[in-house]
Amino acid sequence: MTTTAVPPAAASPIQRRPPPAGRARAFAGRFLSRSDGRLGLLILVFFALLAIFPDLFVGKLETATTATGKSLQPPGGGYLFGTDELGRDILNMTVHGARISMTIGLMATVITVMLGALVGIVAGYVGGKTDTILMRISDFFLVLPTIVLAIILAPVILDVVGADAELFGIRATMIVIVVVIGLTSWATTARVIRSQVLSIKMRMFVDRARVVGSGPGRIMRRHVLPNVINLIVAQAVLTFAIAVFTETTLAFIGLGDPFAPSWGQILNSAQGAGAPGLGAWWYIAPPAICVVLVVLAFTLVGNALDDILNPRSGVRR
Amino acid sequence: MTVDPTVPGQRRWPLPKQADPDAPLLRVEDLAVRFRMPNGSVKAVDGVSFGLDHGEALGIAGESGCGKTTTALSLVKLLPANGYVKAGKVELFGIDLVPKTETQIARYRWREIALVFQGAMNALNPVQRIGDQIAEPIEIRLGQPRESSRKRAEELLELVGIPRERAASYPHELSGGMRQRAMIAMALACDPAIVIGDEPTTALDVMVQAQILQLLEQLRRDLGLSLMLITHDLSVIAETCDRVMIMYAGRVAEEGQVRRVFAAPRHPYTQKLLSAFPNVRTDRRTLEVIPGLPPDLRNPPPGCRFAPRCPAAMQVCSEVVPPEVRFADGVRVACHLYPTSDLISAPDGLTRMDALGAGEPQS
Repeated sequence: MTTTAVPPAAASPIQRRPPPAGRARAFAGRFLSRSDGRLGLLILVFFALLAIFPDLFVGKLETATTATGKSLQPPGGGYLFGTDELGRDILNMTVHGARISMTIGLMATVITVMLGALVGIVAGYVGGKTDTILMRISDFFLVLPTIVLAIILAPVILDVVGADAELFGIRATMIVIVVVIGLTSWATTARVIRSQVLSIKMRMFVDRARVVGSGPGRIMRRHVLPNVINLIVAQAVLTFAIAVFTETTLAFIGLGDPFAPSWGQILNSAQGAGAPGLGAWWYIAPPAICVVLVVLAFTLVGNALDDILNPRSGVRR
Repeated sequence: MTVDPTVPGQRRWPLPKQADPDAPLLRVEDLAVRFRMPNGSVKAVDGVSFGLDHGEALGIAGESGCGKTTTALSLVKLLPANGYVKAGKVELFGIDLVPKTETQIARYRWREIALVFQGAMNALNPVQRIGDQIAEPIEIRLGQPRESSRKRAEELLELVGIPRERAASYPHELSGGMRQRAMIAMALACDPAIVIGDEPTTALDVMVQAQILQLLEQLRRDLGLSLMLITHDLSVIAETCDRVMIMYAGRVAEEGQVRRVFAAPRHPYTQKLLSAFPNVRTDRRTLEVIPGLPPDLRNPPPGCRFAPRCPAAMQVCSEVVPPEVRFADGVRVACHLYPTSDLISAPDGLTRMDALGAGEPQS
């Protein structure tokens, strides 16, 4: 039945450039063979599912009018995590909060890392006046205090666009938080990446690439960027953690969107309701633990990615 | 010996448009290279002339900092930002490269004159596959699509004795010898007329060094490659080169057929350099040392630059720059010891060539 036209298997078990699908599979295999990668991914997938389909798990978001429980009911009796002062299910709010916190964290991370990597690589590689100008700009953003900037920017932007304005279906308050986090943290990433680029551009393979005919754009893309990708991943993880924390902080001090129950917003309500004084730990613990878990998961995944994306690290262990 | 550059298989790409097919491959005349420094200009290369024929191998030897690498890199203007060619001619196929602008000269880099770098580990991008790195000059310089460039890269790897499967390896997965072979493959990527090896074997152990030299030798034979080998290892030159050029402090001291120069070194510097090199055939003895240091090239001594260290220095040496004297056997020497009248016969000398283990030159 089968003809002999089947090509012989590659003699060498390694080294053949696998087709793109095979490469992706090999990458996934290496990632999943690590326990930290597996655990981190598991947590992230769990929270991603919560964020995408909260209704599937806990039903619609409860509001003061649809609340079913009594005020500040401890865990148990149909309310796994207890209720808040308005009788809303904490589990319900925490699950719905995942979407807000994760979205803000993700958007802020993408903005920060893209802007930071771009500025860092260009400043480091091009050098000279470009470097000076970009670094002075980053200095300015480096000294901007996140919270203060947010306190000033949030009401201003909201006043200009209106609190109910939406951008791509995202409420303006969230955009403000993302912009504030992005503005205040890209400079750190740019600095870190620039310093690494400064050392990479002195390496001989960059000279070689230039001699061979690569222009600055190609060198930055093909030679510099792949050499700082592990740094970018590390920065992304760090930024995500910071972004989630910052969002939590901003919401906690009342600069969040009161209609979007992010984890910070829940903590804010808990504080407003005097939960710590009343011993209502179940009001505080679930959102706080979620923040910790998400940050932890990103760190684990980031670590695993760093090791896999850096081909040299395979030798060391 | 001379290879027709238009024969297919030896040169796949047409010669540059202004090329004169009858002109010699490379002719360098009175090349002068300067480096701007905060405290003056360094005369790194001063009045260097030499030629390279199709299929020929020229070795350039001398102490560190004598201008070997600078000479080679200035051919296609690959000098550091503060370096520039002050005077002279670099004629490739009869085209003078010195007045070319940066964009014009880029066309000659790698396509006509390629480099094998010293220390392959540093010259390879650690996070890019070997095959992609070899394909890079093919993509850029020859404008080939990525797929065919990769295929060509695999062929080149095979040509230098690396299995083509290795194209998917990262540099750290290869041995030192393989990395150097990959660098050679990269140099061959665009079928260049001239390959410059800048200390291509320095970082390798002797066995691998021998293999690499053998490979270069074989490629030269098979592809009709012209080689410029920069090294301070005279035995490498004795083994692989047809001609040798001894440089001192940015000038040519002596140049000629390897056998003739090594058998009967005429310039005192060449003599000193050769006796500073271990000789396996004679009794074990302390190697000679040339006293003193090479001069400061910001302010070189007038006259012969070797005069302060030269055992045979005369009054005239520190006053007048020695003119080049051409002997009947083709060896050029810049030294006042020899009268300037043309075509003096070669002196009888030691048979150092045998001692250095070199065979007959290829011609």
